[in-house]
Amino acid sequence: MSPSTTAKVIKPAAHARRRGFSITKTIVFVIFGILLVTQLYPLLWLLIYSFKTNEEILSGSFFSLPAVWQWSNYTSAIESGNYWRYLSNSVLVTSVTMISVILLASLAAYAISRFRWKYGQLVLLAFLLGMMVPLQATLLPLMLIFKNLDILNTRLSLILPYIAFQTPIAVFILSGFMKTIPQEIEESGIMDGASVYRIFTSIVLPITVPPIVTVCILAFINIWNEYILAATFISSEKLKTLPFGVNSFVSQYSVNYGAIGAFLVLGALPVILIYFLLSEKITKGMVAGAVKG
Amino acid sequence: MKVLKVSGWTIAAFVLPCLLLYVCLVFLPIIVSVYNGMLQWNGIGTSKFIGLANFTKMFTDDPVFWPAVGRTFLLAGFSMLVQLPLALFVAILISRYVRRTSFLVSSYFLPVILSVAVIGQLWKTIYNPASMGGMINQILVKLGLDSWTHSWLTEPKIAIYAIIIVGLWQYLGYHILIQFTGIQNIPADIYEAAKIDGAEGFKADRYITLPLIVPIFKISVVLSFIGSLQSFDLIMVMTGGGPAHATDVIASVMYNMSFLSMKYGYGSAIASFLVVVCLLATVIINFLFNRLDKRFS
Repeated sequence: MSPSTTAKVIKPAAHARRRGFSITKTIVFVIFGILLVTQLYPLLWLLIYSFKTNEEILSGSFFSLPAVWQWSNYTSAIESGNYWRYLSNSVLVTSVTMISVILLASLAAYAISRFRWKYGQLVLLAFLLGMMVPLQATLLPLMLIFKNLDILNTRLSLILPYIAFQTPIAVFILSGFMKTIPQEIEESGIMDGASVYRIFTSIVLPITVPPIVTVCILAFINIWNEYILAATFISSEKLKTLPFGVNSFVSQYSVNYGAIGAFLVLGALPVILIYFLLSEKITKGMVAGAVKG
Repeated sequence: MKVLKVSGWTIAAFVLPCLLLYVCLVFLPIIVSVYNGMLQWNGIGTSKFIGLANFTKMFTDDPVFWPAVGRTFLLAGFSMLVQLPLALFVAILISRYVRRTSFLVSSYFLPVILSVAVIGQLWKTIYNPASMGGMINQILVKLGLDSWTHSWLTEPKIAIYAIIIVGLWQYLGYHILIQFTGIQNIPADIYEAAKIDGAEGFKADRYITLPLIVPIFKISVVLSFIGSLQSFDLIMVMTGGGPAHATDVIASVMYNMSFLSMKYGYGSAIASFLVVVCLLATVIINFLFNRLDKRFS
């Protein structure tokens, strides 16, 4: 047994919750290793691919590093595709959607969870139904509606349904949280003569920041990555969002394999960078979204 | 508990903007879609009300429809029988053997946050023929298994499995994370108590982790089942339903009918079918898990 493998066997033993046979632990860590490779290697492979020349890609040595790192693949990808345009479209559409979802959903959630009125539960139920319904079923009717309103192929035709699709889960998460706010907090506001709007903006909203972050993360991941709606409602090149732009660039551009790889890397890069910065928050938010949904 | 008694106008100001947008863009379209399903309509000309004819055609006289339904359930089956048990297994192993879990869990999770457009195109590249730089075929050639190389996405018999693998790959980390979080939330003193009673290791998993993880596992099942019913963006990116409908699922048939063949009425009929199946599936899964829950407690 080489020194490195012995180290591998001993190290997990020190970490383990209970003492057992180190053979089991070796097997377990081999499983973890295999999964790590299957989950991450395709992405790593793409990264290396994106720096190779056509000859290197076609030569069949899939594992080797490029002889010279071809940064030119990136420059030609950016020059032939409208990367910056797609990126700024995505930033615009996603941020407008996120802000609107937070605003609209927190207002509605506040009314559902804190106001004394008859139909609160009914409204919540209506939103709940929306989480079970497949949104693809709305594609065709929405297209007809947008055609009639003459907003097909505008940013509005993306932003409006994006907001609508994100509200059910947002209302659900936010109202669930607001229900737990102690009523004394509101009472103190009423004593001071504050209006409902005032209580909402300066007392309730600041407390609700943690679930708002969760809603933001869910909305960001869903909207940033959305492809089908964008590909259906948008046709003009200058309005395409990043996923749609990546897909149409890659399917049309076939001269330079490395540049295609580079464009895919560029397409994945923004969300991966954000994930490196906020991975804890994102994983927590996604689980919260799944569990509460 | 609810202290605020406010006027109807105030309630309206808070609720209506959100509710109206939601009702107009989600609720009404789905109802409209059921009605449209009873029309013969190509979107431009006048429409003709034909009752349930679209539905009878769909159920009895469409060579594409039932295979697509079957494939949708194939997706769901693979997800539930391969992906979820594997995810639970890995989640148990992680919580048992790893102390600093965040690196492993967040690495497994990485593919989840990427767009289907990127994932689909990446895997198309991976599946390419060796002569076009495809990874899998190049590996097979390197290993001397030239006869095993395939044109993975264009051979009708294997294309759907090639897509299923991508779906399993992308969302495995999501289910690992969900179930790992569920296991973390099981109170440690239950395990301590079981230890005193002599239940340790995998015995403790059998009698404590498995029964207590049921509610979380249900979430994974619902997500994967509903996800499979709705999943078609990956298929649209990778094959568009082809070759010759070999990778069509319910949603992709609906999409192609509505937006490529311009059969708005027929497409809407399939969309309504999808809505009904989704609602039914949610109800059935909840019912089954309630019974399972009762048996364990």
